[in-house]
Amino acid sequence: MKRLSNPFLYLLVLICVSFVFLASFGEILWGFSSVGERHWAEKMFFGVCHQLPDRTYIIEGAMMAVNTRCFGVFLGMLAGWVLIPFAGSYAEGRRWPVTFLLLAIVLQIVDYLGNLVELWHNTNHSRALLGALFGIALSVSVSDLFIKRKT
Amino acid sequence: MEQDEQTTGSSSDSISFGDMLPSAGVVGLIFSIITFAIGLAVGYQQIGSEPSGAIFSPTMLSGTVICLISLLGGTLAVWHFVKEVNPYIKLGQGAALGFITGAIMVILTAVYGEIWNFIDPEYTDKLVEATIANVEAMDLPDAQRQTMVDSMASTVRQQSSFLSQVLWGIPITGILNLLSGMVGVKIFAKKEDQETF
Repeated sequence: MKRLSNPFLYLLVLICVSFVFLASFGEILWGFSSVGERHWAEKMFFGVCHQLPDRTYIIEGAMMAVNTRCFGVFLGMLAGWVLIPFAGSYAEGRRWPVTFLLLAIVLQIVDYLGNLVELWHNTNHSRALLGALFGIALSVSVSDLFIKRKT
Repeated sequence: MEQDEQTTGSSSDSISFGDMLPSAGVVGLIFSIITFAIGLAVGYQQIGSEPSGAIFSPTMLSGTVICLISLLGGTLAVWHFVKEVNPYIKLGQGAALGFITGAIMVILTAVYGEIWNFIDPEYTDKLVEATIANVEAMDLPDAQRQTMVDSMASTVRQQSSFLSQVLWGIPITGILNLLSGMVGVKIFAKKEDQETF
């Protein structure tokens, strides 16, 4: 594990990403909203997620605030961010993190289009898994910027 | 040459909030127009078409496209900043630029929504009706169909409330663009200790 070059920024983003991840649980973690009122967590994500119930994890009637792919992205973002102090030194001066990010983006598009034209049918779990891959790639792509360089 | 630029004010230390606003504003303006136009076009297309009962409704497709476009905002704002204002931008400054860009996109989209409410006051009601009609035509169990109707109608109505859009929209769009802003720094920014020959 290496020393971080921007510890304050790292911590700030960690808090932000953790907040996004926890908020995405919606009714599952934060309870049901009043009758006729939209859940606060669903309000937060409506601009970035279609929130279709059949594409969202539901546990005992309680629904997440985001669909499975978005949940995967946020889970991956948090996991990737936690990994930065460890992954940064492997990413330093190398191109693979950006290649990994581009690959993860292409995979999302291919999976989405393949399902759209009915070449295959993706599932909630497969969408969450691919989303998590993209989330990890997003965080890891900036990991070397947080590693202190040798002078 | 680069050293000269750094000593005459092009160093990242001299970047202020005011320096970031043009890039955030330009990208925010362009992206908000694009996303609003897509949403509007797809909304009218849905209003004007017969309910198909398809899960992949135009509204859902536009939601996905709009989401992807929104996430690019931070990265492109940093690209614009590096190209037009200062090639040396720090990671934290890129993150801030991304967040501001996301916030501007949310605010401008909400403003366009308000303006459109004056131009076509019945738009929201017609879109809610069309969305409900499409869900009701779906081959789903009654309970699930009702949940979807409530969810989609509520989403469409929320999109027409300015304050709700701004207050609830800025944190998430801002945070996601904050991250994409850092990716922009990684890809486009010059490092201050980078020597060129």
